[in-house]
Amino acid sequence: MKKNKKSFFSRFYVAICLVFFYLPILVTMIFSFNSSKSLTRFSGFSLRWYQELLHNTEISKAVYVSVTVAILATIISTVLGTVTAIGLTRSRKFLRELLLEINNIPILNPDIVMAIGLMILFSSMGLEKGYFTMLLAHIAFCTPYVITSVYPKVRSLDPNLANAAMDLGATPFQALTKVIVPMIKDGIFAGALLAFTMSFDDFVISYFVSGNGVKNISIIVYNMTKRINPTINALSTLVIVVIVVILVITNVIPRLRKRVGINKTVRRTLTAILCVVTVVFLYAWGNVANQGSRTLKVYNAGEYIDLSLLEKFEEETGCTVIYETFESNEMMYTKLSSGEVYDILIPSDYMIERLIKEEYLQPLDWDQITHADGLMEEVLDPTYDPGNRYSCPYFWGTVGILYDTTVVDEKDLEQGWDLLKNEKYKGNLYMYDSERDSFMVALKALGYSMNTTDMKEIRAAYDWLVEQRGSMEPIYAGDDVIDNMVSGNKAMAVVYSGDASYIISENPDLDYLTPSQGTNVWYDAMVLTRDCSEVGLAHQFIDFMIREDNAVANTQEVGYSSPVKAAFDMMAAEDYEGISSYVPDISNPADETFAYQDPKIKQVYAELWTKIKAE
Amino acid sequence: MKHFRHLIKPYLIWSVVIIVIPLILTFLYAFTTPGNEVLTLSFTLENFTRFAEATYLHVILKSFQLGIAATLICLVLGYPLAYIISKQSESIQSFLILLVTIPMWINMLLRTYAWMNLLSDNGIINNLLSMLGINPLTMMYTDFSVMIGLVCNFMPFMIIPIHTSLAKMDRSFIEAANDLGADPVQTFWKVIWPLSLPGVLNGVMMVFLLALSSFVIPKLLGGGQYMLIGNLIESQFISVGDWNFGSAISLILAMLILIFLRLMRRLDYLDRQDD
Repeated sequence: MKKNKKSFFSRFYVAICLVFFYLPILVTMIFSFNSSKSLTRFSGFSLRWYQELLHNTEISKAVYVSVTVAILATIISTVLGTVTAIGLTRSRKFLRELLLEINNIPILNPDIVMAIGLMILFSSMGLEKGYFTMLLAHIAFCTPYVITSVYPKVRSLDPNLANAAMDLGATPFQALTKVIVPMIKDGIFAGALLAFTMSFDDFVISYFVSGNGVKNISIIVYNMTKRINPTINALSTLVIVVIVVILVITNVIPRLRKRVGINKTVRRTLTAILCVVTVVFLYAWGNVANQGSRTLKVYNAGEYIDLSLLEKFEEETGCTVIYETFESNEMMYTKLSSGEVYDILIPSDYMIERLIKEEYLQPLDWDQITHADGLMEEVLDPTYDPGNRYSCPYFWGTVGILYDTTVVDEKDLEQGWDLLKNEKYKGNLYMYDSERDSFMVALKALGYSMNTTDMKEIRAAYDWLVEQRGSMEPIYAGDDVIDNMVSGNKAMAVVYSGDASYIISENPDLDYLTPSQGTNVWYDAMVLTRDCSEVGLAHQFIDFMIREDNAVANTQEVGYSSPVKAAFDMMAAEDYEGISSYVPDISNPADETFAYQDPKIKQVYAELWTKIKAE
Repeated sequence: MKHFRHLIKPYLIWSVVIIVIPLILTFLYAFTTPGNEVLTLSFTLENFTRFAEATYLHVILKSFQLGIAATLICLVLGYPLAYIISKQSESIQSFLILLVTIPMWINMLLRTYAWMNLLSDNGIINNLLSMLGINPLTMMYTDFSVMIGLVCNFMPFMIIPIHTSLAKMDRSFIEAANDLGADPVQTFWKVIWPLSLPGVLNGVMMVFLLALSSFVIPKLLGGGQYMLIGNLIESQFISVGDWNFGSAISLILAMLILIFLRLMRRLDYLDRQDD
């Protein structure tokens, strides 16, 4: 009786733990069948996200990269790690300890440190970033895990085993493969499994060491944070199904083997076939990736384009577009300054100013941009690039407060930015987790310029933010604000006008306020890099993006305000009718645009911002 | 016996190129001033002295607190699970271990997003609660949500090594203890626990290191105010662009981890001495 009770308790505990592990996966799977885009409310069964997955070539390429890199890295690091682990037990103490110490470094160091180190290394070696560098990096961080799982097993072996085998006439190679390896196969298997898991799941290192449009699943997912898209849920559901199928097969085959008697030759043949298939697969893909003689490399913010436009451009010009995305202007700058080469960048105002100053760009030839007449006057001749010598506008807008009309009192709106300090809404708001945008809010609330370099004013803004942090308990969120506000989780959020348009179109209870104290008027624009080798093609691309039909498609997909007059007017009158954020109000003389910051001043802001968040 | 000595040579060369050289580059950055050209290095300790400020020390403290808490929770919850699994028949054991491993193959970011959808104010759990007539709970952007994310992601790293050492254990020890009149509690603390200690140490080390340097999970589930050492390093490299200070912080983190590891090895060593 007692025993029964005990085993019931054990089972119950195991079940609880497994529920805990599988709950997020289950949620992912269920919502892959949701008929709407929401990830919190199930509105009906549909397969639409699976259909989208089929049509999404970017995701299928990423799956290919993830799987092949993981397989190759696992095979190579398992062989390398096992061989090294065996060698280690036989080598001199000094060398052994040294190598084990070195081996620990990648395991102990945070991913980001290793990623940066490898990025600098590959750049200085002149290796072109892409599939190969990603593979090298994965081997680099997988091998140490193999060694740590295999080495203890080798150490626990009787050191005389190999000697005995050789005394009995085995060659060293035979002693290795017939005696030692079979004895440590558990360790090797565990190491290989760990290596595969690490490689398949890696994001940080892959992000920094890859390039030229080579992305794995994690990079795609990370770039999707802006608007979490159930397509990726469909993908992970498929991944789970594939894993389960593989597991069933691997568990059934050994039993079958016992029953049917598959012998060694068959097994070896199967392994050989698998290897050949992998190689052929790799080779074929390498060819596919290199098709098309002319290529254009475009580097844009994540979720910031209608991807079908790229295909359309490829069809019209017969070239290949390599499209990559970044999370922030700073991340783009990091990659650019590490030696990565692109043709077209789409950064923001202050970053463009910096790139011009540091001579990363080349002037545009406006004669080649035939649709320039269609651009709105409001977006031309900006402060960051007088006369538009280097840049052609892409999207534009303001920063403001998105608020829930059912919660926020209309009278309070007059407070402008100080609404964010109104204790009625304590614990009910999101700040944007960005140093410049948050300081902009505080500086504007205090009536200063957001480009100030006056230490007293900066200090006052710092105090404003610290006080707000204490009295309002805001959440400093990134792009997850979008999903949160769509589901109406809080009453207020500081957002970009383009995001506001999208959010309001999904949740009509919200409205957008442009505070009277003035705000940040921002522009994102297309620029040509100094190293651009396809100048003609790059101009064609810019011209293509501001052509009316394409501009309409782009603004419809992204939700940000178009700089092309016809597209802008159409959207304001149709899709986003009545949504004030789509029509940025820039009439306020107190409005400004971010200017390039001196590194010293930037440092000051960055340190203060760290302090605010770490309080 | 010398036959296999040369086997380490390929890795020795490989590791110097791909591990040591990047590390030297990190060192170089940590000890130089920003804006240096390679040829005109000017060395400084400023990147380290800057760190000795209350704010940054607070960040370190918070990271350690979180790392230790996550490790303890993983240990307390993971040990019983590993123990229960190790008592099953062999085929059930490998099946259960597989079940524990599978989630690690599903993208960590995706699992974290799923927790965000579960825990948010208008999320799945709160929707269910409101159907039952219970007031919604605030779970997102709290210590609770961060801990859920960390434990869910890292617990398998605790369970697997503990299970390995429990499964290896010679059953006759337990039988002997029982025969000699030990009660279950005594058997556990005097026999099973010491024998599983290598696995526990391994698991503790893995989880602690992962939790200490994690930055994506705290950022997504805890919000931007969840400033940990990993976030600090990330922001220096990515948003601030001060690689020198970022390198210095990562060296400090590496040093702290090294000290921690020495302590753990010492424990392991003392333990072996006891045997």
